[in-house]
Amino acid sequence: MFGRQWVTLLLVLIAALLWWRLPPGEQQLSRTALVMGTLVEIKAFGDDEEQLDSAISKAFAEMTRLEALLSSHQPKSEISRLSNSADEFVASPETIELISLGRKIAERSNGAFDMTLGALKKLWAIESENPQVPSEEQIAVALQGVGPEALQLDGNRVRKKLPGLQVDLGGIAKGYAVDRALALLRAAGITSASVNAGGDIALLGDHDGRPWRIGIQHPRKSGELLAALELSDRAVVSSGDYERFFEQDGIRYHHIFDPRSGQPARLCQSVTVVAADAASADALATAAFVLGPEEGLQLLEQLPDVEGLIIANNGKEWQTSGLPQSQ
Amino acid sequence: MTSSAVDPVALEQTRQRVFMALFIALAVALHTFEALLPNPLPWFRIGLANIMALTALFIYGVQALWIVNMARILVGSLLLGNLFSPAFLLSFSGGLLATLLMGLSFRLFRPKIGPVGVSLCGAVGHIGGQMLIAWLLIVRHPSIWMMLPFFLLFALISGMLNGLVADYLLEALSGHPAFGRLRTMFAKQG
Amino acid sequence: MKVFGWRRRLTPFDRKLTAILAICVFISFLLPLRQGIGARVLVERDGKVIYTADLDHDQQVELQGPLGVTVLQIEDHAARVISSPCPQKICIGLGKAKHSGDLLACVPNRLVIRIEGDEEKERGYDLLSR
Repeated sequence: MFGRQWVTLLLVLIAALLWWRLPPGEQQLSRTALVMGTLVEIKAFGDDEEQLDSAISKAFAEMTRLEALLSSHQPKSEISRLSNSADEFVASPETIELISLGRKIAERSNGAFDMTLGALKKLWAIESENPQVPSEEQIAVALQGVGPEALQLDGNRVRKKLPGLQVDLGGIAKGYAVDRALALLRAAGITSASVNAGGDIALLGDHDGRPWRIGIQHPRKSGELLAALELSDRAVVSSGDYERFFEQDGIRYHHIFDPRSGQPARLCQSVTVVAADAASADALATAAFVLGPEEGLQLLEQLPDVEGLIIANNGKEWQTSGLPQSQ
Repeated sequence: MTSSAVDPVALEQTRQRVFMALFIALAVALHTFEALLPNPLPWFRIGLANIMALTALFIYGVQALWIVNMARILVGSLLLGNLFSPAFLLSFSGGLLATLLMGLSFRLFRPKIGPVGVSLCGAVGHIGGQMLIAWLLIVRHPSIWMMLPFFLLFALISGMLNGLVADYLLEALSGHPAFGRLRTMFAKQG
Repeated sequence: MKVFGWRRRLTPFDRKLTAILAICVFISFLLPLRQGIGARVLVERDGKVIYTADLDHDQQVELQGPLGVTVLQIEDHAARVISSPCPQKICIGLGKAKHSGDLLACVPNRLVIRIEGDEEKERGYDLLSR
């Protein structure tokens, strides 16, 4: 009998078709761009794709703007002009905010994090085509005047202790840009999003109803995870000696320098920091990397709302007590 | 000379030629019309032209079905300017398998099968032929099988629709003096 | 549903055929057809997709960027950069990408390589901190 039940079945099938084709409720939009010298991926969840798209565009535009402001590779950036100026320098609110945060972490870490290593980084030229191992004398010259006190803030002015100091915000600017991008997404009314700038991650809300799962790259085994963290509304930044380096006479020279010696820091393979904002996490990861597992872990444990995972140079894992592992 | 002197067999043949030409022309028109409709899903075609092929099948038999469909695909593609393009190959392979299945089901199951049943067979054959050619020539990627459920559902709906319209058309035509055979056919069923 | 009297137009045989097809449709929706779909690799430059390929077929692809040719190798359902004109070769150091959502990039040569599809195969994390 071809009765009413068949009509019902057909309607159910059509409903099933619609249900399959349209993902219920939220959808995810993900876009990538090459900004801040790295690959940036922004993901956002929401009902309105156009809203997501325009918010992501704005976030990328903000990161591009901040790059032009804070990069030490762009000769016309505010940071380059600050490096070249001898007097007091009137800076933008963003630069002031960032240097102020960086100074706190520099002091807290006894100078392990340092924003005045511009000359030293230029000397090693790790990020160029011709990196080199400089002499002790060259390093001593490049380290003149560096330290937490090297940059003084006075309202909207920055004062350098020595006129020749070169500012480099490499260990904090990327995290700051990630935070600002995420703030724009939040301001656009998005409640669930992530910004990932080459491993510097900031999270807004959760991943569509569950925590975000963040894989931590193993420092020695490419493609393998060290751990997976379950996080919401947090920032995660990893620093490692495997990111940018060159080898000479069998020694690996990487991009994270110890301000005390002027050499690449030797005590860690990688440091991952979880904090409320990516700028702090970025700077703290660099600081802990320089300090080494024991002192670094101590620093991270002292700070409220900060967790971390450190891999020492012998491969041993050190982690803070409250690290939210998912394994 | 008067018309009364015309041989009734010759008259019937002429009549058939005229109506076949009409069916083909209408099929081409529907084929073109459907191509002009805005279609967000290029793979889903209702296949309105199959209505004419079905009608021809039930009036004149399997040979008429083949003539209408093949002529429709060739002339229609010529009109649309996509003859021998990938879109044409899809349309042609789909049409070929559809016509084959329609002819077979008609041969095997007549008189139990009606226009809707034949139309459903045609719709299934159409997607089958299209997917086969798409698989062989164009995508060669297993993801097209993901679309199979949607294609089948669409075949069910479009096949049903075309079959019903064809049945309605056949019923309307059966009242026309030119289709004596149809009247007897519907009388038998009725 | 008697608007056009459409049920009258189906012979009993037609009804059986319809029922069979409807059941086929229903079953096909339940079939795990989405499984076994190979992932694809996409290469973008300046936001435009300049190359796509199946991960199923092993091959080497030369990708043109502003600095020169970056060579992408597809092997064992994974993609990786094996040669690049950029100074630091970070893209080579990034290793293999094989799960949906994995990303490789050569920033100096303006190339972004991503894996798409294969969403059933969870990679166990949403984002990677490296």
